[in-house]
Formats: sequence, structure tokens, C-alpha cells
Amino acid sequence: MTPVSYPQLLGIFACLALALVAHLETLPVWVLAAVAVSGGIRLLLARHGRPAPPRGVRLSVAALAILLLFLQLHTFNGLSAGTSLLVLMAGLKLLETNTQRDIYVITLIIYFVSLAALLEGRSFWLLAYLIGVCWLTTATLLRLTTTLPVPDWRRCLRYSGRMLSQAVPLALVFWLLFPRFAAPLWHLPDDRHSAASGLSDSMSPGDIDQLALSDEVAFRVHFAAATPPPNERYWRGPVLSQFDGRKWSRSYSSSLGSPALQPQGPAYRYTVSLEPHEHNWIFSLDWPSHWDLPGGFLTGDYTLVQPSPVSRPLDVEATSYTRVKTLAPLSDSIRHRDTQLAPRRNPRSLEFAHTLRSEHPDDMDYVRAVLSLFTEQPFYYTLTPPKLPPDAVDAFLFDTRRGFCEHYASAFAVLMRAAGIPSHVVTGYQGGTFNRFADYWIVRQSDAHAWDEVWIDGRGWMRIDPTAAIAPSRVEQGLNDSLSADEPLVSRWQRSSPWLADARLRLDALRQLWRERILFFDQDAQQKLLEWLHIPEPDGQKLVLVLTAALSLVLCWLTWQVRREIDPVRKELLIRAYARLCAKLASLGMPRQAHEGAEDYAARVARRRPDLGPSVTALCRHYSNLRYAAAPARITVNQFDAAVRAFRPKARPARQSSTPPDSPAS
Amino acid sequence: MRQAAIRRLRAWAARRHGRDSLPIKINRRRIYILPTRFGLMLAFVLVAMLMAGLNYNSNLGLAFAFLMVSVALVTMHHCNRNMLGLQVDVTTEVDAFAGREASFEFVLRNESNVERRDVEIRCLTASGIRSVAAKSSESIPVAVPVPQRGVARIEQFELRTRYPFGWFHAWTYVQGSLTAYVAPSPQGDRTLPSVGGVGTASRSEARGDEDFAGLRAYEPGVPLKHMAWKVLARGGEAAVQSYTSLASQPDWLEWSSLEGQETEMRLSQLCLWVLESDAAQRVYGLRIPGKEIPPGRGAAHRFACLRALALYGFAEPR
Repeated sequence: MTPVSYPQLLGIFACLALALVAHLETLPVWVLAAVAVSGGIRLLLARHGRPAPPRGVRLSVAALAILLLFLQLHTFNGLSAGTSLLVLMAGLKLLETNTQRDIYVITLIIYFVSLAALLEGRSFWLLAYLIGVCWLTTATLLRLTTTLPVPDWRRCLRYSGRMLSQAVPLALVFWLLFPRFAAPLWHLPDDRHSAASGLSDSMSPGDIDQLALSDEVAFRVHFAAATPPPNERYWRGPVLSQFDGRKWSRSYSSSLGSPALQPQGPAYRYTVSLEPHEHNWIFSLDWPSHWDLPGGFLTGDYTLVQPSPVSRPLDVEATSYTRVKTLAPLSDSIRHRDTQLAPRRNPRSLEFAHTLRSEHPDDMDYVRAVLSLFTEQPFYYTLTPPKLPPDAVDAFLFDTRRGFCEHYASAFAVLMRAAGIPSHVVTGYQGGTFNRFADYWIVRQSDAHAWDEVWIDGRGWMRIDPTAAIAPSRVEQGLNDSLSADEPLVSRWQRSSPWLADARLRLDALRQLWRERILFFDQDAQQKLLEWLHIPEPDGQKLVLVLTAALSLVLCWLTWQVRREIDPVRKELLIRAYARLCAKLASLGMPRQAHEGAEDYAARVARRRPDLGPSVTALCRHYSNLRYAAAPARITVNQFDAAVRAFRPKARPARQSSTPPDSPAS
Repeated sequence: MRQAAIRRLRAWAARRHGRDSLPIKINRRRIYILPTRFGLMLAFVLVAMLMAGLNYNSNLGLAFAFLMVSVALVTMHHCNRNMLGLQVDVTTEVDAFAGREASFEFVLRNESNVERRDVEIRCLTASGIRSVAAKSSESIPVAVPVPQRGVARIEQFELRTRYPFGWFHAWTYVQGSLTAYVAPSPQGDRTLPSVGGVGTASRSEARGDEDFAGLRAYEPGVPLKHMAWKVLARGGEAAVQSYTSLASQPDWLEWSSLEGQETEMRLSQLCLWVLESDAAQRVYGLRIPGKEIPPGRGAAHRFACLRALALYGFAEPR
């Protein structure tokens, strides 16, 4: 095998580096560093014409690296561990690259590493970038495998680019028609937890106002028919019912039986397209009643959950009723849970609640009294509330009186529990932005919200949003309007220039289309495709048949496309265009004689059909100029071709009588 | 086992295509294609990529994997095309000496508008590789080792290419008989016999074929091209145009002058003399038992002499 040269190494190293760029966020930094160092060392050695380091050194470096990787990840199974291992191997392979065969192995690793980035990647740009990397790698490989003289870079890029573009129709057929599996062949640990932003399963003061600044999309919703009014668009997330005096957290005793809900009012059918948030709850319109989700169920707190965390984009179709009635009485265990307070915490609040309760023995009266407290007292709604001491509710209710939804929800629930009324905090999202370009709602992290539910005997669970008591407009309009100086920069821009907001919505609509059509292309979509092709009762078998047929067609096209270029009898455009002209005239009964030159032929046509004379003469003159004249012709071949195509002689001349007899060709 | 399989494949191809007459145009029916070892590695990686894409249910991953699979398929077509429609010819009149190589000159003609890169011609163990630019031809010398004096016959040669990327290996067998007359290896210690001596410029009677010297009576066995057709046409006697050589007295390279030496040694010595005489541009003839080559010079003459030496002791082919 031929030894590798410095430029070859440099080329392949650059390709590997470009492929690794796609993994910058997911791979351990030291793995990338190890690849960079070993590549750098090998390049330096090659620069000075030295071979790879001896075998012993390479083996020990490899063993050390793999040991380190195992110590860090404790497994080689799973995507990120597997990718790390592969990337590490590529780097070490770089170190030991001596022959071309080693470089071949590296190209294969580059292809696989690119794919690994796409397994969890979702964006169009990532795909485009990695196809670019693969193009470059293939061009590099072309340079490596060609004997002297090696063609220059531009030709290599052009040739491999052509092959890529010829591969596109074939790839498209494969992609559209290759049967997808409903379930994975084998389960791999989903170990790639991105640092998800969004709601967590606990809430301390200051958690949600962090989110309020985030423009990130939490989910998108498309309503099948009617859209609920704004003040009913509460997207239910985790219910927090345990309180330690400052922090609310989720109760996992979901076995507690909760009374059934009876739907009232209109049903809303919708599809919620979740972005991954690494928790197992599914945000759904309050209150969900039906859902199309394998393994999905309602917790005792009426939150829709699935067994595994949402770690990749997920579409769920569901039906909800915004108004419900609770049928059965509250079980004692839930009543107990939802009236628990942290002992010896927030004493001032408890005392206040007792006083207020003695004035309002009726539950509903008491609720109204607390809400009017928020309305009448100088409570302020701000995104930058002051820091609170451990007894956060006391401090908020009596000292600072400035807070965000979580402060109000928390304080309200504490006041309820102190009065013996079962209550808990519900977190989720409220509102959303309508995308008028594509008929769906965008719910962003900045729409995160917290509200309360209280149990009123005889009425059941009631949703109370104490924040609405402070700034009612917020419930109607969403968060952005109630913010002033602290609002996100982007939304301030949007307000100043509506076209920017439109552009953003259009972009988001494209993103949603990409997600719907590409990322979520599945068995159902394939079935629809077959239906569109008018194939009755589509199933897997028919899919394979269609795939085979389409592949045969495309392969025939490919064979023709590839062979066409070497066909020696392929006529030039000029000759074909002239033949077309002759055919048109022949169909009028004036075929060109074999011995006739273009100008003679034109003269004969002109004698017989004077009406066609000028145009035919001009065309034939152009032809002979293009074909035989040494000087550049006045029109190009393409223009001549277009002129011939545009030439549509009438079957009969306008003045029939004046047609002179055709003189016999001499 | 691999060797045996290749032998069987060659024999099968030979039966399938029959004898080819050169020059031959490589059509699609005779091009075979298989993945190389690198291609198999790629296939393994592609399958792994597909499995990963399917398992993770990642449409983008699948799109990438399918694109790579398709690139591999396109590459197969391009590899096949790289040989398709090439015309192959070979020059067989080549000097060959026992123990050295017979250098066959293959000519590849490319009439298409596409460059054919890295086409390799393989003949027994020898090979040569070239690229043929669009609408041009290229000659590829392939030096085939010939250990023995006599007739070296190659019944089959192979055209192959791995372009582009080296993922596929396309090849074709051509059943064109290449014959090399392997002259004895030129060696010996006798000096070149010189009858007339160098520099005697007397015009000899010996019948050369360079200068016209007059007419003489026809005798059977005279080359047809030397017949004086015009004389015959005028109604005269059958006559032969007589030529003489420009050079001095012809040197006769005689088998009998090497009395007492072993046969192969004698042949080697004669071969060396032929080459020396040719290099010195002398007029020389060769006389060996059963064969006499009248004096002459030039490449064709030299080739005839070498051929006579090569065939000594063997039956004349055909």
C-alpha cells in the first residue's frame, strides 16, 4: 500500500474536524481534545516526513483513552458513548495512519460520525451541513484513490458533487418508501439528555421568572376545529402538592384515587407538538379526557404522563374539556395531602389566614376574600421580584408584595391550606401566540405559568388564577404585554417592527412544516402517500412493491443518465435542431433531399412556399453560419434551437393561388 | 480457493464470449463488477447506518444513510461506465527475449466526451495503468515476463478499473490471442562475422530490396510485389524487378560458423549478432538449419530473423 503524504493527511483531518463540529455540544470535551492532539501530532510527524509513532505507544494511548472513556461514562452502549468511542477511535486511527487503507477507514468513520449527529439532530441546517461534509470527504477520497496525475480540487469536488446530485432521486425514493418500524429493533439507552429548559417538578420563588425571559418554544398546538377562548387556554403540566415552606414539589403518591371528572361544555380536539423537555409529562389543555399516546395515562392530579421522558419531539393528539364537574367527593388521603403545611413556617401567613377564615366561614367567600386582598392591597406584578428569605410566603405577603405568578400561586395555596381548604399549585403554560401563516399556536417558555386549584365541597376542583387578580389583562393577552422594562429584547424588537414578528412567524411555520413533513414522516404518512398514488388498501407489502417499482424506474433513469455522457453518437444540439427544422418542413411535403445543402434547401422551400421563404432562409443561413463559418455567428446554438422550436409553419399558405409549382431539385 | 475461483471465472468468461478479434469495443455485456474489500467495509458501515437510523426512528439519519447508499449505487454505475465503450487494441510485433519481458503495447481508444481514469490492463502477472482523456487514445505498455524461448501465447487479458473511490472493481476479460515470438536471450562472445568488411561499398549482386537495379527473369518464389507488372501488361515476358542493397556485401550470420557449441548457445549468439548488425545498420542474412532469411535490414527484417530464431526447433505456428 502507498504511504500517505502530508497533504492527504491534512485533507482527511480537516474532513474529520468538520464532521466533529456537529458533535461539539454532545461529546466530552476531552475526547475532542484527544482527537485534535493525536491528529496534530500525526500531522507534525508527517510534515517532517516521519512515519506514525511505534505500535507500543499507539496501543497504550488507545488503551488509556478507552479506559478514561469507560470511567467517565460507565458504558459503551448508547448513542453518546458509542459516538465518543467511535470518535476516539478515529482520532487514534489518525495517529497510526501510515497507508492509504488507514485513510479509507477514517473516511468510513467520518460518514458514520456524521450520521450519529443526525440521529438526535433535527434541524435542516444540520442535515445540509453534514451532507456538505460528506461531499468534501468524498472528494478527498477521490483524490486519494486516483493515480497520478491527481486531478485538482475543483474537478474532484465537481465530480463527487455530480454523483451526489445523481444520488438524490434514488435517496428520495428510498426515504419515502422504505418501510419504517413502529418500534425500535432493540432498545438503546437514551443517554443523551440535553440540558432541557422548561418547567421542572418543583417550584421555588424565582424559577418561572427565569423562564419568562426565554423565547424558546415549549410546544406548538394545532386545534382541529374550535379554539378555546384565551382565558381557558391553560396548558396543564405537573401538579405540585408538597410544600416545605418555600418550595413546592410534585407528589409521587399518584396511586391516590381521585374523583372522576365529568366533561361539560364543548370538547376541543387538538394536536400538541412537544419539544423534548426530558420529563414524562405531556402538556395538555386543562382538562384532558382522551389522548392518542401509547402508554399514556392521567395521574391522580389529572396530568397526562407517559412512562418515559419526552426526550425527542413528540406529537400527541388529544381531546380536552375546559369545563368539568367533579362527580365524587374528595378522598381523605388527598384531602390530607392537599391541606398539609410545613410546620413552624410562615407563621404570619397562618395567623392571617385564621383571622380571615373566622370572618369568612364559607369556602367560596374565603376564596373571594383572598383574591380581593391581592386586588385591593398594593401587590405588584414584576419579573424581577426581590429575593425572599426562607419564610418566602410571609415575606411576599407582608413585606415585598412584588412577585410573579409563582409567588401569587404559592401564597394563595398556603392561605387556602391554612384555612383547611384542599389546594395545590398547577404549573404549565398559559396563552400562546397564534401563527396566522400556518394555523397553529406557539407556546413559548415565556408563557410558563403557575395557578391554583382548590376543592370546594359541593363544587369539586376549581381553577383559581390569583395572578389574574393582579393584572387581569395578562390572562387575556399573554405575558409579553404585562412586562415593561424587563421584557425580552426580541419581543421588544418585534413590537417596534411588525414585519420582524411576521418574519419570525413565517420562519416558525417553516420549522413546523419541516417537523411535520420530514421529522415525523412515518408509517401513517407512507400510507397516505400510497393512497395519494391511488393504491387501494395500502399495507406494508404494497409499500415494498411500490418501493421496488420506483427503485427500478429510478435505476433505469440513472443508467441512462450515466451512459448518456459516453454515447459517442450523441448529436450536438445544433444538428438536432436542424434535423427538427427539416422534419417540420418535411411534414409540409417538402423533405430535404439527401444532397441538398441548407441554403439550396431554403431556396427551394422559398420558391414553393414564398410565405415561409424569409423565415426558412434566415434559419438555414444561421445554421450554415453556425456550422461552417469561421467567424462567430450572430446567434448562439441555443438561440437557434429556440428559434427552430418557435418556428411553426402553417400547413397551407395564406394565398393558395399564388403557389408556384415546385421546381424539381437538381 | 480464491485462485481456483478466479480460474473458473476466467474459463467461464472465455466460454461465454468466445474468441475476440482485436480491436474490440468493450460492451456492457462483458463488464463484471463487484465491491472491493474497501467497498465491503463501506457496505458494512452503510448497513450499520441504516440500522441506526431505523432504530432511532430518525428521519434525518435515514435521509443521510439513504443518500450514502445511493451514492454507492451511483458509484457502481460510474465505475462500470469508466470502461464502457473503450476500444482495445494491441501491437503484437514486439521484441521478446527469453528470460526478459515481452512488452505488449495496448492501445485504448476513448471516443466519448468523458475522461476514463485509471484503466488497468492486466496480462498474467504484469499490468499497466493509464487514464485516457476524452476523444483520444493512449498506449499502455505491459511487460509480460517470458522465461522460455519459443512462442509465448497469452489467450486472455483483463481490463479493470476501480475508479472512482475504489469501492467497486469492474473488469472484463478479452479473449484475444497475443503471441510473442520469444527470441533466445542475446549473448555470446564471438565477434560479428563480417564477410565484406566494413566500408567496402561495391554494389553487390545480392538481392536486396532497396534500390532498383533492373529487370531479371521471373523465377518461382519471388515476392509478388517485386513482379514487373507493367512489363507483363505490355505483353512482355514475366519479369522481376531486381533490387540491390545500398550497403556493402551482406553479412551472413551462419549457424554452421558456430560449430561445437550447444544449440541454445548458438541461438543466443546468433540473436546477439542480429541485434548488433541491426544496430550497426548493416545488411545481413540469417542461415539456420531449415530456414534461410535472405539479407536485408530494417525492423521487419530484424523481426523476421528474431522470429526464425525463436521458432527454431518448434513447429511453425498455424
